[in-house]
Amino acid sequence: MRRTRSTKTAGVTGALLLLGGCVDSAPLAGGDTTVLDRSSNAFDNPASNLNDEEFERHLEAELAFEATFVSRPSDVNPGLGPLYLNTSCAACHPGNGRGLPVVGHGPLESHLTVRIERDVPGPQGSPGGPGAPLRDHALPGWEAEATIDLTWVEEAGSYPDGTSWSLREPRVHVVFADGGELADDAMRTLRIPSPIVGLGLLEAISDETLQGLADPDDKDGDGISGRLNIVFDETLQRNVIGRVGWKAQEPSLFQNSASGFAATMGISNPVFPDEDGGVDIDEETVELAAFYMQTLAVPARADWDDPTVQRGEELFDEIGCSSCHVAELQTGDHEVEALRDQVIQPYTDLLLHDMGPRLADNAPDFGATGTEWRTRPLWGIGLTETVLGAAAYLHDGRARTREEAILWHGGEAAGAQSGFQGLPAEDRAALLRFLGSL
Amino acid sequence: MSDFTLPPHLLLNGETMSDFTLPSHLRPAIVACALLIVGCGGSGSNGPAFEDSELAPAIVAAFADDVIIPTYEALAERLALLETSVQTLQADPTEANLEAAQQAWVSAREPWEASEGFLFGPVDGLGFDPALDSWPVDRTALDQVLASGDELTQAYVSSLDDTLQGFHTAEYLLFGTGNDNTAADLTGRELEYLAGVVAEMTDLGTELAAAWTDGVGGAAPYGDFIRTAGATDNTVYPSMQAAAQEIVYGSIGILDEVANGKIADPFGEQDVTLVESQFSWNSLEDFTDNIHSVRNAWLGINLQTGESSTSFADFVGDVDPDLAARVTSEIDAAIASLGAIPEPFRDSITDPAAADQITAAQDAIRVVQASYEAELQPFVTR
Repeated sequence: MRRTRSTKTAGVTGALLLLGGCVDSAPLAGGDTTVLDRSSNAFDNPASNLNDEEFERHLEAELAFEATFVSRPSDVNPGLGPLYLNTSCAACHPGNGRGLPVVGHGPLESHLTVRIERDVPGPQGSPGGPGAPLRDHALPGWEAEATIDLTWVEEAGSYPDGTSWSLREPRVHVVFADGGELADDAMRTLRIPSPIVGLGLLEAISDETLQGLADPDDKDGDGISGRLNIVFDETLQRNVIGRVGWKAQEPSLFQNSASGFAATMGISNPVFPDEDGGVDIDEETVELAAFYMQTLAVPARADWDDPTVQRGEELFDEIGCSSCHVAELQTGDHEVEALRDQVIQPYTDLLLHDMGPRLADNAPDFGATGTEWRTRPLWGIGLTETVLGAAAYLHDGRARTREEAILWHGGEAAGAQSGFQGLPAEDRAALLRFLGSL
Repeated sequence: MSDFTLPPHLLLNGETMSDFTLPSHLRPAIVACALLIVGCGGSGSNGPAFEDSELAPAIVAAFADDVIIPTYEALAERLALLETSVQTLQADPTEANLEAAQQAWVSAREPWEASEGFLFGPVDGLGFDPALDSWPVDRTALDQVLASGDELTQAYVSSLDDTLQGFHTAEYLLFGTGNDNTAADLTGRELEYLAGVVAEMTDLGTELAAAWTDGVGGAAPYGDFIRTAGATDNTVYPSMQAAAQEIVYGSIGILDEVANGKIADPFGEQDVTLVESQFSWNSLEDFTDNIHSVRNAWLGINLQTGESSTSFADFVGDVDPDLAARVTSEIDAAIASLGAIPEPFRDSITDPAAADQITAAQDAIRVVQASYEAELQPFVTR
């Protein structure tokens, strides 16, 4: 696995300062954190505006994020399991990008998580909602919680102009260690790992900004009612605005880091200790993994000045995509100096939206309903295949292309989706080119 | 090395471990001012962009066809030879057969390390890298597996974690922890397990090469994405520049990792547990092959035949012959400097008499890295 280089990648802020009045350059997707990299390395750069102290800490943080854990006892990285899904943070986020909807054992990593309702929700779980992910790996001498099989159901359709498409939908079959099976009507939710670039900037969006974007009762009458998720912060021991995850079900990258160690690797920590109170790693390790996510650079856009790409962005606006995929936001305060007061282009409003029955997982998570999902940031989405060598989109990886992802949009996004379907083929291609430029 | 060791101070039960300090790195400030001037009448200070070069299509195609694919094909072939040699060892565990299997491991290791300058595409996204090259070995779990009554088939091995498979698990079983294994040390269970490990490695190597030449799992051959870089329907490399960034950034990444990770971490910590390929004492060969991956990508060299093709060095040479010649000589100097470090590296890191050679090798590699970052990178970041 590659590691982040210990020197800084070409940033863009110095360039812009020198360009003075003739700025006609790539939009600074990640503000001053932005780097110029459209290679497979694009999600693996430290933010270009880190100060020396932050930069050194980022390099140390990478070791925590990439560390592969093994059984106790071991001279190196003990603490794995006994039940787990994977052996390092990085294994589920290859190249810091998306994972694939892959389940089971074998040489290729397990990337799809399956969460079911549990008596005790556990890390990443919520009361009355889906609990911690099923752990289908176990150390020798232990038995995995379940085996999971994944199959796909294809459904054909066509655009109004006759162009055909085919969408696929996942079906999982879960057999527990005791031989019992997960009932067809039992709660379950499937999630692929997300790209981790830009998460610190999103964490730095102020509560006030988010509250300003929210429109829970659709007072502006545009048919779109963005809502905030309110979730429990284990550190603060109170409810706060949810910010991280497919349903904004986690309050912070710190808690996301802690729950990730505990839920997916079986590595107990001060936020989620063992039943007897023991821990495998200390708080500093949890903080470092969070810091790594916070301080990755966002890559600059490509081909932003191409007329087709620009036409695509106009269409993105016209058919209503940008109602939720809000192009520009400004960060507020954050403990990491490099993230403060940045104007960024994440293409998200960070709010929950009803996405209709076809995408529904019927698994409420804190305040998010079974049909709601948080608007995904689109920055870097054009690099998905470049980073991973393959692609999967939406919460369970059902969409093989960005075009399929659009076609799955429903609920509050149904109008935008049908607007896309109604575009001439050339315009659909332009809109997709725009997404590829991000 | 595929994975990394957590700094010792983060390990709660690392009782004997000293405080971890990050190695000092060269951190050249990268002046990006020439990189972004678009539509302002400037073409930058370093001549034409790669994107506009007539050589660009041939360079990126040769990168796939003459550098990357032959390296993976060599890996697949040598892993198959490793598998055969382990089968021979299992059938007849003599000292000679053990030595032959150890040599086959070293031989297979070469193309793997010589691929680490272009660790992108299927090897990364589809998990071949962790499956083949995870570190550390989960020795506690391995002991339990060997003590169990389970049948140790390839299918069984492949169902286990990456930390119980791949190069380093095979290395541990073949060489022992002190490169002092004898044939008599190997139990039947260990040989059975080792046979499963190398059989799985052969399949992975074959599949990795096929991912580039034929495509796996219904995907297009990955080489096609490089060859057709710049085509509007190419969703991986929509520009020649993006493909060329793989050459430059991949090389910068491995140069940095060797100087500032693979060497600096164990040398700075004086900690043998941080040394790559510590069981086989193959560390310096690993590092040297890593730098060869940079050289092969730069000069378009086919690892199998030694022949060179149209390369990024040709593009740079057309623009600035002195720069191209200097980069080649800097790479060669880095390789030579690694050759001056006394073997085995795991002992040299704590030998005061070897410290100067180790530092000199780090410096030589950092010189190459600095040239890539300051002088080559601008060609591919317009």
